[in-house]
Amino acid sequence: MTILKKPAIGRAFWAVIAMAMPVAGLAQIPEGYPAEYADILAVAEAEGSVVIYANTEHAAVEAILADFQKAFPKIRADYIEIKAADLFSRVSSEAAADALKADVVWSSAMDLQYQMVEDGVAAEYASPEKGAIPEWASYGDRIYGTTYEPVVMVYNSKVVADDQMPRTHAGLASWLTENRDTMKGKVATYDPERSGLGFFAVNEDAKHSDDLWPLVTAFGAVDTKFYTATGTMLEKISAGEHAIGYNIVGPYAYLRAERDPNVKVVVPQDFTVVLSRLAIVTEQARHPNAARVFLDYLLSHRGQSVIGNAAHLFAIRPDVEGKATIAGLTAEHGDRLKPVAIGPHLLDAIQPMERLAFFRKWADALKAGK
Amino acid sequence: MRSDFWRNNIVLLTALFILAPVGLIVWQSFLTDAFFSARARPTADAYSFVLSDPGFRDALKNTIILSVGMVVIAVPLGSLLAFLMVRTDMPGRKWIEPAIFLPLFMSPMVLAFGYIVSIGPSGFWSVWWQQTIGVPFWNVYSMPMLVLVVALTHVPHVYIYVATALRTVPSDLEEAARVAGGSPLTVALRVTLPLVWPSIAVSAVLVAFLGFELFGLPYVLGDQDGRLVLATYLYKFNTLLGRPAYQLMAVVVIFIMLATLPLVMLQRRMLRSAQRYSTIGGKATRAHLVPFGPWKWVALAGVLVWLYAVVLLPLSGVALRSLVTTWGPLVSIRDVLTFDNYHKLAELPLIRRSIVNTLLLAFIGGFASLCVYVLIGLASHRSQARGTRALDFLVLLPRAMPGIVAGLVVFWIFLFVPVLKPWVSSLVAMWVAYTLVWLPFGLRLVSNSLGQVGRELEEAAHVTGAGQARVARDVILPLAKHGLLAAWLLAFLLYAREYSTGIFLMGQGNEVMGTMLVSLWNGGNIDVASSLAVVNTLVIAGGIALALRLGVRLDA
Repeated sequence: MTILKKPAIGRAFWAVIAMAMPVAGLAQIPEGYPAEYADILAVAEAEGSVVIYANTEHAAVEAILADFQKAFPKIRADYIEIKAADLFSRVSSEAAADALKADVVWSSAMDLQYQMVEDGVAAEYASPEKGAIPEWASYGDRIYGTTYEPVVMVYNSKVVADDQMPRTHAGLASWLTENRDTMKGKVATYDPERSGLGFFAVNEDAKHSDDLWPLVTAFGAVDTKFYTATGTMLEKISAGEHAIGYNIVGPYAYLRAERDPNVKVVVPQDFTVVLSRLAIVTEQARHPNAARVFLDYLLSHRGQSVIGNAAHLFAIRPDVEGKATIAGLTAEHGDRLKPVAIGPHLLDAIQPMERLAFFRKWADALKAGK
Repeated sequence: MRSDFWRNNIVLLTALFILAPVGLIVWQSFLTDAFFSARARPTADAYSFVLSDPGFRDALKNTIILSVGMVVIAVPLGSLLAFLMVRTDMPGRKWIEPAIFLPLFMSPMVLAFGYIVSIGPSGFWSVWWQQTIGVPFWNVYSMPMLVLVVALTHVPHVYIYVATALRTVPSDLEEAARVAGGSPLTVALRVTLPLVWPSIAVSAVLVAFLGFELFGLPYVLGDQDGRLVLATYLYKFNTLLGRPAYQLMAVVVIFIMLATLPLVMLQRRMLRSAQRYSTIGGKATRAHLVPFGPWKWVALAGVLVWLYAVVLLPLSGVALRSLVTTWGPLVSIRDVLTFDNYHKLAELPLIRRSIVNTLLLAFIGGFASLCVYVLIGLASHRSQARGTRALDFLVLLPRAMPGIVAGLVVFWIFLFVPVLKPWVSSLVAMWVAYTLVWLPFGLRLVSNSLGQVGRELEEAAHVTGAGQARVARDVILPLAKHGLLAAWLLAFLLYAREYSTGIFLMGQGNEVMGTMLVSLWNGGNIDVASSLAVVNTLVIAGGIALALRLGVRLDA
């Protein structure tokens, strides 16, 4: 479907109309927002829709979109799902052609999202909800973390007994080496070369601890299988084809564990990297106010409750309660959780030379185990 | 001459349609960054990077093995299958026909996944085998298995070409040979085979070429061991260096394009005397079937084994998966049986929309593409001009781009050509991309059928004063209608499962089933993906069965 481009004059016209209308009857501003927010909301409703490019899968996002619709019935959410790297291609191409359709870009590829800020794709917007999320979860009023997703280990309890399963990185390394015969071909993780997310997570591991490298050597010893998609890994762990999955993104792992009692999740007890889905409002947005309303909704108490408790993506707001929230995780695991702060350093992960150096080290460590 | 005027124009337009994306790729391959980026500088570094990468040589080797394996296995089997279905009295032909097309419209990723569930290390067929016979002798992730799976699932591609040709071959020649004492085998080899040789040759080249851009099956089955083919190797550059490295992907695409050259030359050699084989003559003929005697049961058994391998094995895997929450030797099926996956399907409003969109795009879009192919086919029909001959080579090029790259390039063209810009991320752009990607297949099928119309019929019409358009309308098109219908069916099937081409062209509201399937599956939602795959299969199988019953018969 072609989304017809409204001429700029038309948009301005609607904005004027919207502002001229008596605000009270039109828009109900969320509690605690500044009074001026009524204007944003009124114009947003006149804009009528918000286009979101994102990589969160439909099944998870459905609850969020449905609730947004309930909260703001006059703003239609047009949601387009694209895989992370393709999402980046699409947004950067459209932005270069001055034809960016997305008002909001929301992706779990933290490094590529920050690159968009760097490239001038992201607009500046100080969300009224900014104070409600941790300080490290936003940067320069241009990019906001919306979720708090631990990177975990997963195992099949019918293959590995609960009391055998190691709980730390070093523990896993030595246990795998001891059981190298029975664990041959039984371990699965991301291929950092072929998965952007896989690289990002394992590179964070390397920053936090040198325990990663003996673990990689152990991976080599047990002939670990390397994947590009989480879905396949979890499926094969569930089926018993693999026993242990390393660096699985939390929401997927917990969802799977909920459906299959044999799949168990381990939040590593030495340190656990935590990732976040980052959202930006675009500079070229055609529905800039609707985009702001959507971003604010994602960060709002209401939106975060849905993100945590209905979509199981782990809420990042400390005042939201439930299992899949920062509060729930922190109560259980405290400061072992190592969230990746948002900032320019995210770009280090996409410097070709740094990556190639990492891959060399990775290959050497693997080979050492064989 | 007037007729040359339109002919040349169509050839020119086609060339532009093909060369614009190809040109963009060549240009991109000589830059340091995306062509639209301010950071881009001219360089040839991308070539040296790819050429010096040992991964490239491995991928190339794997690709060649796959491609050769496909030709060696799929072409004889596909031709044999076509012969059995069209020319013999093998029992069960009526209901086997729709089943033959099943592997064609299942998304290769789903197909591959189906194999993992059924004959993977934890697959339920493997478990059954282990319990009753012993340790399974196969490894679903091994290279020989990949070759076998890929080859067997491409048998329908060959079938559709050869069957179409066979249906136009009059059986009087075979009859004559049989009356003269030839055994069925002799007749088949000495009479029938030479008559359909051009179609076999064309399908062989296309299948070989398909082997070069294969993505879905090796992507899933080769994933865990990092066994890459050119298309999956190319995909690695999406993430390897952080930001997508278009220049490196472009270089790999250019290598795949170079592979077309020898293939086209090979095809020319095989077809040097193809003009002799126009088989739709002016005389009315009635098709007679070769009586196969007891052998017909052997033939049927063979076909059933093949159907078992390419339809029942993967489909039963997917179907089973859609009815359970988990599987494998560690659980008892009774504990995990559920209809929830189908309920969940009904809860997603997108699903209905994607089914409607898929059918629209496949049915109407497929027909529109067919019209384009027919126009191009007529323009080059019986033309010896150098321009039209160059099309032989050109039309294969679009297929050198794996779907995702073709989609990206069409997206770029729509985005950066001002006239086209308003149409980007519309169904129109998506249709253009599909038409481009499947041009080699559709066009070959179309021009094959056009070529079989007897020259004398066209000449007779010319002599009685009919113009070019009249000849096309009243002689060529009606006589070639089997082939055209086959081309439409092929377009329908291929469009219905297409996934990657549309990624960049998707807008709000034009989700298609293929896209939904793969995104659900990549997102780990295999429950819903499997049930959607089953629904997808049922919808399209139903559509085909209905079409075949209601007169869209290939042998009408």
